[in-house]
Amino acid sequence: CSSLAGTMLLEVLLVLATLIIYFLFSKKKEETLHFKDGWWGKGQKPETKEDTSIRPFKVETTEEELSDLFRRLDQARFTDPLENSSFHYGTNSVYLRKVVSYWKNQFNWKKQVEVLNKYPQFKTKIQGIDIHFVHVKPPRLPEGRSAKPLLMVHGWPGSFYEFYRIIPLLTDPASHGLGDEHIFEVICPSIPGYGFSEAPHKKDFDSVSAASVFCELMLRLGFSEFYTQGGDWGWLICTNLAQIAPNHVKGLHLNMVSVSKMGLTHLLSILLGQYFPGLFGFQNEDVRRMFPFLKKGLYRILRESGYAHIQATKPDTVGCGLNDSPVGLASYILEKFSSWTDMEFQNLEDGGLERKFNLDDLLTNIMIYWVSGCIVSSMRFYKENLQNGIGTQKHEKVPVQVPTGIASFPNEILHTPQAWAQKKYTNIVSFHFMPRGGHFAAFEEPELLAKDILQFVGKVEKEQLWKKK
Amino acid sequence: ESVLSRIRSFEYSQKNAVLVPAAAVGIGGMLLYWLRSGRKIKTIDIGDGWWGTGERPLEGKEDESIRPFKIETSDKEIEDLHQRLDQFRFTPHLEGAAFHYGFNSSYLRKVVAYWRNQFDWRKQVEILNKYPHFHTTIEGIDIHFIHVKPSYVPHGRAVQPLLMVHGWPGSFYEFYKIIPLLTEPSRHGLNEGDVVFEVICPSIPGYGFSEAPHQKGFDSIATARIFHKLMNRLGFKEYYLQGGDWGSRITTNMAQMLPQSVKGLHLNLVFIAKQGLGRMISIMLGAYIPWLVGLSREDARLIYPFMQKNVYDVLRESGYLHIQATKPDTAGCGLNDSPVGLAAYILEKFSTWTDKSFLHKDDGGLESKYSLDELLTNVMIYWVTSSIVSSMRFYKENFSKDPDLSAHNRVGVYVPTGIAAFPQEIVHTPRIWAKDVYRNIITYSYMARGGHFAAFEEPKLLAQDIMQFVRKVEQL
Repeated sequence: CSSLAGTMLLEVLLVLATLIIYFLFSKKKEETLHFKDGWWGKGQKPETKEDTSIRPFKVETTEEELSDLFRRLDQARFTDPLENSSFHYGTNSVYLRKVVSYWKNQFNWKKQVEVLNKYPQFKTKIQGIDIHFVHVKPPRLPEGRSAKPLLMVHGWPGSFYEFYRIIPLLTDPASHGLGDEHIFEVICPSIPGYGFSEAPHKKDFDSVSAASVFCELMLRLGFSEFYTQGGDWGWLICTNLAQIAPNHVKGLHLNMVSVSKMGLTHLLSILLGQYFPGLFGFQNEDVRRMFPFLKKGLYRILRESGYAHIQATKPDTVGCGLNDSPVGLASYILEKFSSWTDMEFQNLEDGGLERKFNLDDLLTNIMIYWVSGCIVSSMRFYKENLQNGIGTQKHEKVPVQVPTGIASFPNEILHTPQAWAQKKYTNIVSFHFMPRGGHFAAFEEPELLAKDILQFVGKVEKEQLWKKK
Repeated sequence: ESVLSRIRSFEYSQKNAVLVPAAAVGIGGMLLYWLRSGRKIKTIDIGDGWWGTGERPLEGKEDESIRPFKIETSDKEIEDLHQRLDQFRFTPHLEGAAFHYGFNSSYLRKVVAYWRNQFDWRKQVEILNKYPHFHTTIEGIDIHFIHVKPSYVPHGRAVQPLLMVHGWPGSFYEFYKIIPLLTEPSRHGLNEGDVVFEVICPSIPGYGFSEAPHQKGFDSIATARIFHKLMNRLGFKEYYLQGGDWGSRITTNMAQMLPQSVKGLHLNLVFIAKQGLGRMISIMLGAYIPWLVGLSREDARLIYPFMQKNVYDVLRESGYLHIQATKPDTAGCGLNDSPVGLAAYILEKFSTWTDKSFLHKDDGGLESKYSLDELLTNVMIYWVTSSIVSSMRFYKENFSKDPDLSAHNRVGVYVPTGIAAFPQEIVHTPRIWAKDVYRNIITYSYMARGGHFAAFEEPKLLAQDIMQFVRKVEQL
C-alpha cells in the first residue's frame, strides 16, 4: 500500500514538474499581428490591377434549380432511427422526413429569395476573389446625425442570413423601441468559401486572411473606423481584425469567446474553481455554467466536436456527399441548430428545432449552402485554421487591446468566464450574462443581442474609448 | 484506452504535447492502479440480447433455420444508381491538394465515369454469388454469412473451421481473394498444406446483408456472442478466428467470452490501450535504447518518431471515428443518399490506410493496389443495402462507454494467438505491448508489405501467416 502511495506521489510530482517546465519555457507574448496579403484566385495572379468596383448583386433562382432540388428530395433514402434514440445519435430521421415534406410542399424558395433580396447586396473583388456582402443603411437619419458602420460576421453553419432579424433593430432602433442614440449602417459579408462569396482556390486561407480581406472591404467602402461584431468563426475573424487593424476598429463585440492558450492557472481553476470561485475570479453564474467540468466541459467538447475534427482533417471527403444530397446537407446543418441552441434538445424527438426557429428560416440558411454549392469550401476553413493544432497560431498569443464587449449566452456550447477572457481581451468594457439564448444569438435572440451591442457602443462612444488604446 | 487518452486526442499542439500526456499519464496511472485490483476476471460474461423491433416476444422459440440466400439486383436499382451518378455535383479541389484535404475531386470524377460507364454491377453480383450465402435469425435479427467448404479434402486431413470477421468500411467481400487460398491451398501454390479450412464470413449486424439492430447498445460483445451462436448453430464446437479492424475486436471478445470454443485467434490488427507511467517511460527510452524495453529494431522503425506516427497521424486520420462515435445518424445521412459521397468517404480509407504516402498522390494511389471493380463492389454492398448509417452506429455503441471500466479491457486473452503485423497498418503494436492483453502469443510476424486491408491487399501473405500459425497450434 505504501508503494502505491509512493508511486502516486511520484506521478503527481512528475505532472507538476512538467507543468512548471512548460510554463517556464513558453515563449513571451508577441505583441502584434500583421495584415495578411494574398492571392486566392485561380492560377497565377495577373499583371493587371485588380478591379475594385462594387457591383450590385441579387440572389436569383431558376425553375431548373428548383426541379433539381425537388427531384433529389423525392428520391431521398432515409435510415430509420434506433428505438428511443431521439437526437442522441444525430439528427433523427423521422423528424427529418417531416422537414423534407415541408421543404417539398410548403417552403417557397422563390418567396425566400425575395426576402433575401430585400436588403441591398453587392460583390467586389478582393485579393483575387469575389466577396459578397449585404450593406444596409438606416432608412432615416435624424438631422445632423451619422450612422456608425458595423461589420457583422457570421460563422459555420450559418450565413449572412442569420443577421436579417437583427439588422432592422440596429439600422432603425427607434422603430423597435430601442432608442435612437446610436444608429448603425450594417455590413454583413459572406466569409470566402461561404454562400455567395467566391471560395479561395489556394491553400492556407485562414481567419487572418479573412480578417485582412474584410479590412480591405471596409476601407474600400470608405470606412476608416468601424465596429465589428461576431460569433462562431465571426468571433475569430473579428478578433483578428482587431489585432491587425486596431486603429480602424473602434470596438469589438462578441457573442462567443474561446480561449486556446491554457496554462497552469486555467488547469487549477478547472480543478478548484468550483470550491474557491472567488480565488479565480469566477462569479456564481460562471460556476453554474461551467461545473461539473467533466460533464459541461470535457465530455461535451468530445461529444460535440466530431464535425470539427473531420472537417479540420478531411473536408473534401465529408463535404462531398453533402453537396450532392440536400437531405444529407439539411441533416448535418440542422443538428447544430438543435444542439447549439440548447444541449437538452438532444433529448427531444424533434430536436426542439421549431421552439426557437421556424422552418422557413432554417431552410433558407440551408438553401444558401445548397444553391451556392459551398459546403465543401466552408468546411475547408476548419482545416486551414486548425490543422496545426489549437494553441499554435500566432494570433492566439497576441492580446486584443481594442475596447471589447462580450455577451455571454447561457446555452453557448462552452462557457468562457470573464476571468479567462480578460487574459486575451485586455480591454473588456462590458461583459454580460444574457438571460437566455444559445450559439446562434443573432438568429435566436436578436433583441437581446441588439440591446447588448447598443449598450456596449454607448459606453465606447461616451468615453471615446477607442482613442485611449 | 484510458479516459485521459481521450483528452490526449484533442486540443493538441506541439507545446501541449508534453503537458497533456503528462497529465494523462498521471491521472491515467492512478486510475489504473485503482482498477488493477479488479483484474481477476478471466472471461467476459456471455449475457444475452434482443435486437429486433419492439419487445422481445415472450413466447415461442426463435426460428433457427439456416436459409440459403442469393444477392439480387434489378434494372430499377441500377437505373437509380446511374441517375444519381449523373446528377453528382462536384466541387473543384484546391490547387496542389492531392489527397491532403480528403478525396481528390478530379480523381473522383474519373472513378464516377468508370462506375457509370464500365462497372457492371450484374456481373459483380454473379461474382459475389459464387460462394454460398445464408441467413439465419439470431437474437431477433437476420445474420448474413457466406460458408465456403473445400471442394476437395486430401485423405486423412482435418478441415479446420475458420470464422473471419471484417471491419469498417469493409465487408465479407474483402475475403473473396483469400478464401480459395485457405480452402484449397495446394491449388494455389501454398503447398504448406496439411492445413485446410472451411471458411465462414459473416456480416456484422448493421453491415451489408445482415439486418441492422433496432435497439441501442449493440456493441462488439453482442456481436461476439451472436457469432458464437452462429458457429454453434452450424455445428461447430471449436474453431479458429481471424480478424482485423472491428473484426479484431470482435474476435478478441469471442476469445475472452468462450475461450474453450476458440482453438486459436489470428489478428492482423491489435488494439492496445495505452497504459500508465510505465508505458510512457518505455516509449521515451525506447527511442534511444529499444532493446532495453523489449522493442525490436522493426518495432522501433515502425513506431518512431512516436508523436508523429502515434499521435499526429492518428489525429489526422481519426476524424471519421470521432464523428461516427458521436453523431452516426448525421454523418451517414447524406452518404446513404449520394452514392458518390459514399464512394469518396469509403475509398479515402482504402487509399490512406493502405499506404500513408498515398496522401501525396493526386489519385490517392488506389489503383496501384486494387482494381476499381473490387473497390466499387465493396462500396455497392453499402449502397444497395443502405447500411452506411447502421455501420457507423457501431462506433458509437462501442466507444460510448467508459473503456477503462468495461470488462473486456481488463480481461486477458489466453487462447493461442497469432499476430501478423503489416508495415503500413495505421498504428503498429509491438509484441511486448500486445502481451499485456494477449497472454499466449504463439506467432508474431513482421509482414513484408501491406496495410490495413490485409486480406484484400495481400491475401497470399496473410494466408501463409494464418496457416503457419494454425500449424503451430495444431502441434501443441
